[in-house]
Formats: sequence, structure tokens, C-alpha cells
Amino acid sequence: MLTFIGLGLYDERSITVEGQEALRASDRAFAEFYTSKLVGTTIESLESHHDVSIEVRDRAGVEQHPEEILEAAEAEDVAFLTAGDTMISTTHVDLRLRAHERGIETRVIHGVTAQTATSALTGLQNYRFGTATTLPFPYAHGADGLPSSVTNTIDDNREEGSHTVVYLDIKVDNEAAIERVDTDEAVEEYMTADVGAELLAEEYPDLVGVVVARAGSPDPLVEAGTMTDLASREFGDPLHLLVVPGDCHLLEADALVELAGANREELDIV
Amino acid sequence: MGRRKKIVQECERLMDEPENIRNIAIAAHVDHGKTTLSDNLLAGAGMISDDTAGEQLAMDTEEDEQERGITIDAANVSMTHEYEDTNHLINLIDTPGHVDFGGDVTRAMRAVDGALVVVDAVEGAMPQTETVLRQALREGVKPTLFINKVDRLISELQEGPEEMQQRLVSVINDVNELIRGMTQDMDDIEDWTVSVEDGTVGFGSALYKWGVSMPSMQRTGMDFAEIMELERSDSRQELHEKTPLSDVVLDMVCEHFPNPVNAQPRRIPRVWRGDAESELAEQMRLVDESGEVVLMVTDISMDPHAGEIASGRVFSGTLEKGQELYVSGTAGKNRVQSVGIYMGGEREEVDNVPAGNIAAVTGLRDAIAGSTVSSVEMTPFESIEHISEPVITKSVEAQTMDDLPKLIETLRQVSKEDPTIQITINEDTGEHLISGQGELHLEVITQRIEKNQGIPVNTGEPIVVYREAIQQASDQVEGISPNRHNRFYISVEPLSEELVDTIKMGEASMDMPEQERREALQESGMDKDDSQDVEHIHGSNILLDQTKGIQHLNETMELFIEGLEDALDNGPLANEPVQGTLIRLHDARLHEDTIHRGPAQVIPATRNAVHKSLIDGQIKMLEPMQDCRIDVPNDHMGAASGEIQGRRGRVDDMYQEGDLMVVEGIAPVDEMIGFASDIRSATEGRASWNTENAGFEVMSDSLQREKVMEIRERKGMKLELPPAIEYI
Repeated sequence: MLTFIGLGLYDERSITVEGQEALRASDRAFAEFYTSKLVGTTIESLESHHDVSIEVRDRAGVEQHPEEILEAAEAEDVAFLTAGDTMISTTHVDLRLRAHERGIETRVIHGVTAQTATSALTGLQNYRFGTATTLPFPYAHGADGLPSSVTNTIDDNREEGSHTVVYLDIKVDNEAAIERVDTDEAVEEYMTADVGAELLAEEYPDLVGVVVARAGSPDPLVEAGTMTDLASREFGDPLHLLVVPGDCHLLEADALVELAGANREELDIV
Repeated sequence: MGRRKKIVQECERLMDEPENIRNIAIAAHVDHGKTTLSDNLLAGAGMISDDTAGEQLAMDTEEDEQERGITIDAANVSMTHEYEDTNHLINLIDTPGHVDFGGDVTRAMRAVDGALVVVDAVEGAMPQTETVLRQALREGVKPTLFINKVDRLISELQEGPEEMQQRLVSVINDVNELIRGMTQDMDDIEDWTVSVEDGTVGFGSALYKWGVSMPSMQRTGMDFAEIMELERSDSRQELHEKTPLSDVVLDMVCEHFPNPVNAQPRRIPRVWRGDAESELAEQMRLVDESGEVVLMVTDISMDPHAGEIASGRVFSGTLEKGQELYVSGTAGKNRVQSVGIYMGGEREEVDNVPAGNIAAVTGLRDAIAGSTVSSVEMTPFESIEHISEPVITKSVEAQTMDDLPKLIETLRQVSKEDPTIQITINEDTGEHLISGQGELHLEVITQRIEKNQGIPVNTGEPIVVYREAIQQASDQVEGISPNRHNRFYISVEPLSEELVDTIKMGEASMDMPEQERREALQESGMDKDDSQDVEHIHGSNILLDQTKGIQHLNETMELFIEGLEDALDNGPLANEPVQGTLIRLHDARLHEDTIHRGPAQVIPATRNAVHKSLIDGQIKMLEPMQDCRIDVPNDHMGAASGEIQGRRGRVDDMYQEGDLMVVEGIAPVDEMIGFASDIRSATEGRASWNTENAGFEVMSDSLQREKVMEIRERKGMKLELPPAIEYI
């Protein structure tokens, strides 16, 4: 049995009660933190809180060599953990399908993800979001500046009046990052919203963006402003993401003004 | 004022008159007497003492050159010569004749407009004669012929006038046949064959410093009989005084070689693929000294005091100290610290060097041999293609760890000076690989590291460089990324030999405008639609993008190409380079988000697809071959041909030439290691021989698996082959 469990957004208490029960009942627990991370806790705290031992796998350990996880799941109850929800903004459906190929039963226990938190914190209606995209570190995608997939996504969504969630890059143990800061230590890098806004300002200096920081923590932050404006502010600890609103419904606009300090004049209101 | 100073001043004056400049190279088969001839010219121009010409070898400046008695680097020199009451500036490059140093010859040809081809009267046109002629003609450089060592015909072989005439005519005919064959497809070149009547052929003896040509005989009134008489009676000094070699040759140079104003309108379209309508193109065609500065670097050398010196041809503008110039292929600008010209082995600084000349420049730290250096950003010159690729590799390591940084620095320098040398630096193991044209090539390089830099090194056994190539078209295969969300569908097929040659010669490359590249590929037999889909060329492999409207593929192509290059540089059999493959990308499925189609996904997916398709195309090992010609007395002929046959070689031809037998054949480079000492002992030192790299051939089936395993073991690869490779 392979149970995919979402750990939720922030710390060891963000998991659902159902997830917690399933994790504690499992024989072995694997986790990956290269797609996202719980910034409010550590693996040690997770382990002691749930009284389990957790085996962390890197990208290659999940994608290229999943045999160990699958073989374990053939024999016993295995939990596979990720931050947020295991199936949102990840490619783990692949692991689930591989398990099915081997005749392993699977189950998904949902977690709260940044996608729903964003909608909840900003007041933007989840019905009105288009495709999401990730803004990578410039060194990570080879080309200069903004990749066209990001601008295309934002442009297409805005054409239809939809909002865009722009995830900001997370790099764990990235070779390029390690080389850049010249260390043998593991390097974790999170793109902060001011950096993301600065990149987006190249293309959209006057467009309004909404920063969502530390969603799921006790002190989440939601702030709106033009990209140029946001690029010069600071938003504190990670994780951050950005929303580019499309056409706003009256109530969405009210919410952005009230909850994010947006300037009503700068919004596209329908 | 010293004599030298006077000559420098005269050169400086003449540099501004492009009509009176001749840029020339002397090129020949090894030992046919180029360097001795060059020294004659220097002496004639008053640059070195008349007495020492021929013995001094002023152009062979490196210690190892004087020791070995051969020229290794191309050397530059400027001199003046008065012809028809006008003083001319002659910029001369002496080039190496040994086959291992062919890269230097090719680069030298880019800088000059005329090539004086020297042929030994006794030996006649030899394999390297053909090679240097081809190199010259491909660059649009006009040839003339000097037949050297005529004294040997007269004094040593005791030939009569008729015999001698016959021999000379046959040398001229052989050379003309080569020229005709090589130029028949060149529309921009009229008849460039040489003839005695036109004065484009000279005869003589560089050793005894005399020479004649039709115009010189008319001028001096000397005829052949008189010359033979003087030579026979050992009155060579008189002969030299009456008809000095330098006058004959330098007159020929001034009369028959084009000056830059005549040459550049023809040569620029041959060697530069930028916009022919642009102002820059016009400035280069017109040798405009007030135009933008354009310098083509043909050589980098090291001066212990001045540091790195870049020399090359100024095609337009005027080079001056303090200029900030672009160097092709690098970002930012370099500042010119000094400009100069060459006088013998030495460099003389001058205030400026205008278009049409060969200049020596310091301060261009980013330039390598082959760089285009200019005052505006521009399309670089055609990369100077050297015909042979590296075929042999040797490991070098410093004997003491302290020398390691210095060794790495030196190796980088070596590859900058000679781009036919490839250096693979492994900073982890400290073992570095140098790859080059032959055993001698590598030996000279390692000796220079030890002697000039004082770094004691250990070198490994020479190792041959192999290739991998498919034998048939593959089916379409799928390459899947680790997260399985990205997929690439490709197939491969062998490229025709004609297309491979076109790419290797640089006649179709990604540097040139798309339209021109398409036409070049179509002319070599590529399908019209295919030629429009060319996305990338790597080595002698072509990638076609035949997908239709796939979103995000643009962004991913760079990563796909990275994976492709990696897969081609390290073939599936033994990590040796793959050659001659046409890769078709038919279709791709990509994840919506960049994060899930990053390098960690796309590169393995591509590598996987490429290797799978290559194996499906029955990829096999190729090894480099060498053509070999041995001249040997009759009674040693059996031993000589045995030396070829005993090396997995094949004897193609055996025939009588004069009193010697000629054995021609071909053998693998791998087996030719150590040939020099073996043939010497087998023939009691009576054989002279030549080898020339002859490309790669598929190894016989019975040797495939053995060789693959041997290389895998040496490289520390897994000894287990993928199961799909059951065909070898």
C-alpha cells in the first residue's frame, strides 16, 4: 500500500488529522522536499512530533530510482510525504502510476496547498484563475531574463480576464547554485517576491501584483502593488508567491483593497 | 642609422601603399627546402648576411626547429624588394611541411594572397604538395611554383639537358593537373595553372642560392647550357652572383602575385559570409585604411617580455595602439597595447598598421588563432577549417604537484596558439589529455612544455581517437524524462559522405545566413524541406526540428541541444564522438510548467532518445586511417610493404619511380604508432616515407567488441553493454 500524504503549508501541525493517523500507522515513510518545503519546522521535529522516522529522497531518488519506495510499498504500508498536497504542482502522478503497474494499491490524503491558500487569503475567486506558472531563477533555465512560457501564460490568462498564480522558484541542492556560492554544503534557495516582481517588472512595470507570503503560518502577509513598487519592498521569511490579477469582480477588487492594500485605480475592474 | 632601422622605416612607408604590398606564404612538402629558400629571400633583402643564408635558418626560431631541421610553427617576416623601379613590401610567412603541422599551414593561407609552392626537382610533387595546394586554393590564394634542388639533377644525377627538361616539365604538369582539378568548380578563379613562358615557374637551388626563370634568362642573357656549365664546374658562387635566387623569386612575387587591392575583392566573399551589401563588406573589398578595423588573427605566439602576440591580416581600417576592439566569440572589448610588424624572428613596434598588411598585436587577451577582431561587432570570418581532425591523444601530468597550476595555464596557452590541438583538462585527477594530428605533433608540444616552461612532465602512451557512426536508418524511438511528463520522438539516419564533407569544410554551418546554409546543404544532396528544418549542427551531425506547433519547445530546445551534444560527444559504445548522423526530432510532449521540464528532465530524456536511436541504427566503431607512401630501393621493397601489411594495412600500389620503388598503402593510425623506428630498422634506414591522415573507417566486425571493451575498461566505464547492442 502506498499512501500519498500532503503535509500542508507550514509546520508539523499543518497535516490533516486523517493524514496524521495514516502517517503514524505506516511501516515506512518517505518524503521529498525538492518541490516545496515546510518552512516552519524541520525533519527532526516532524519525526519526533509524529514518532516516525522519515527517509528523505532527492529528485533522482524519486524519479530515476523509485524502486526502493515501490518495493517497500509492495510489502508493507508506505507513506509518501510532500509539502502542500502531493499531487498539486508536482509530477507525482507518475509515481502513483508506476505503483499501479506493479499492482500496488494507492491512496491520496489531501493537504492544503498554496493554490487554495492564495485564493483564500486574497479574496480572488478560485473560479477565475487561469493556468499557473513558475518563475525560475535566471541561472536555472539557461536563457536570459524572463522565460516566454511565463509571459505567455500571464498574457493568455489576462486576455481571458483570468488571474495567474506565479510560483517562485525553490532550489534545493542545485548544482548551479552550489557552484555559484562555492560551497560543498547543501544550498537551499527561495526566490523572494521582491526578486520575482523585479523580474516581472522587466515586462510589466505597471501591472498590479499581489504578494502572498508565509501562507498557512500564524503571520501570513498579503500585499498588492505595481511590479516596480513590489520590487523595492521586503516581505520577510519564505515561502512567497505572486498573483497577477486579471479582470476583477467588484467584490474581488474590494477584497484586494481591504486585505492587500491595493490601489483601486490600478485594478482592472469589470 | 643602422641598416635594420632603415629597413623598418622603409617598410613603414610602404605599408601605406597597398598596391605595392604582397602578402605571400611559402609552402611545400617536408624537406623540399622552404625555409632555406626563405632565408635566401631575407639575405637578398639585406635582412641577414649573405654568407649565412641557407645555413642560418633564420625562420626556424625555436630551438627544437633548428635541432630537428624542420619548421614547426609558421614564421612571419617583412622585407622590401625593388621591382621595375618601384619598391615593394613583401610580407612573408614560412609554413611547416610536415603533415602533423598542417593546421599552421591552413591558418597562414588566410593571411596571404599568394603561395609560392616549392617542389624538390628530384622527388617531384609529393602528398603534402597536394595538401598545401588544396589549402591555398580553397582560401582563394594564387599559386606560383619554384622547383628547388635543380643542382642535384645536374651535379649528382648527372642528367643531360633533355633528361632534365623532361623531368622539369613533368613536375610542372603534375602540379598543373592538381591545380586544374582543384579549381574547376571555383567560378571566381580563372586559369591559375603555372607555366615557364608566363614566368610563374622558377628553377634553382636554394642551397647554392641561384635561380632562374624565363624573364630572368631574358634579362641576364644566360641560357640553360651556361647554367649547367657553371654548376658542373662548381662555380656556384659565380652563378649566385650572376643570377641570384632572391631576385628571381622576388621579381616573380611582385609580378605575378596579386596585391591586396586586387586580391581582397575576390577573397572577401570566399572567406567572409556577412552581408555583401554592407558598408563593412565594401571597406574590406577596397582595403579601406580609414574604414572600420578588421583583423583576422591567424596565429598566437608567446613572447617572454611582451606576453601573448596575435598576428594576422588587417583586411580593413588601421590598427593603432589604444584601440578598443571586439574579439569574436567573447563578450566585451580588448585594448590594443602595441602594434608591430615582423622582421625575421623579431617583432618591431610601429605606430600603426593599415589595411592590407600582416600585423603583430599585443593586448588581445581573448583572441585565439582564428578570431575575428574588429572595431564594430560583425559576422566573424569563416572558421579556418583544417582538414584533419585530431587522431591521437596523450595524457600529460606534472611530475610535482606544485607545477600543476602552471601546467594547466601552459596547456590552455598551447590550445590557444594551435587550435588543431585539443586539450581536456581534468583538475580532479591532474591527468590532462592533449589530442593532435600525430605522434610528432604531440611530442613537440610536450617537449615545449618541458623546455620552455621548465615543467617536468610524465606522459602516457599515445592513444588513438576513435569515432562512432551508425550503419543504417533507425526506427522512431521515444525518449522519456525521469518524471515521465516530457517525451521526445526522434529517429536517426546516416548522412551522405558529401554532406559530411560539406560540414567539415565549413561550407555549411550555423554561423552563416540561413538562406546560404540551405543552398549549401541542398547542393550537397539534402532534401529541400529537410534543409529548411536544420536546427543545429554539432561536429558532423545535423539536427532537424520537424515538429509542428509545439508549445514551449522553443524554450526547451536549448536543453534538448545540450542533451544531444552530450549524447553525440559520448557515443553509446565507448563514449567516443559520434559522426555523420542526421537526427530528426519528429514530435515532443512537454510539461506545462518550466520547473517540470528543466535540465534534470530534458537532458536525460534527450540523451536517452539519442542513444536508443543510434543503437537501433547499428552504431559501430570507426578508427582513423593513414595513407602511407614509402620510397625505397628495390631490394628493401618486400620489407617495406611488409611493414604496411603487418599493421592491418593494405598495399594499394607499387611502382618504379627513377631508381626507387614506391609503395603506397593505407593502415590504421593505431598500428602506425612506432612506425618510424620500425621502418628504419626493416630497411636499414634506406626508406623515406610519408603518412597523411585519411579519415575514419569502420573497423572490421571481428574487432568491434574487443575494441569497445578495451576502451570502456581504459575509461573506467561499465563493462556490460546495453543488451540492444547484440549486433557487434
